[in-house]
Amino acid sequence: MDALNDHDLEKLNDKDKAELRSFLNNESQKARVQSTVHSLTDMCFTKCITGNIKQGKLDKNEEGCMANCAERFLDISGLTMKHLQNLRQG
Amino acid sequence: MDSESVKQEVIKQVQTQYAMNNARELIEKINEHCFQKCVPKPGSSLSSGEQACFTQCMEKYMSAWNQVSTTYITRLKREGGQ
Repeated sequence: MDALNDHDLEKLNDKDKAELRSFLNNESQKARVQSTVHSLTDMCFTKCITGNIKQGKLDKNEEGCMANCAERFLDISGLTMKHLQNLRQG
Repeated sequence: MDSESVKQEVIKQVQTQYAMNNARELIEKINEHCFQKCVPKPGSSLSSGEQACFTQCMEKYMSAWNQVSTTYITRLKREGGQ
């Protein structure tokens, strides 16, 4: 059973449609969070894992660096929004 | 198919797609970063040292991903609670 067609979708009753709508909203929010995690990891791995790889686990420094890197990037992106708003008003 | 089974099928397909996209993205990034780190001068085959490096690098990338995920989700909850 794959490939749902338009005809199948017409069989959805109102209650199931509403449930699907909220399920999809939820999933797309989750997808946005995941995509941010992917890009932060990409960026911060380059910044934080600089030496040769000697073990699979993150050491204490690398762990702290990853967390700080993610937090500071989010600070920066918040600042950008604030600056742009100020520009618009000023 | 009745309404319930159409709904279940849509949910199943969306979840599968979601998991696959996520895995694909992670695999791409691991290849990119760990190739860069572990195979600085590609030879005629992968050496055992390069393979060992790659395994550890992969594990490290996934730990880094989890660390970022925890940090970000904690922050979202904190900011959402304000």
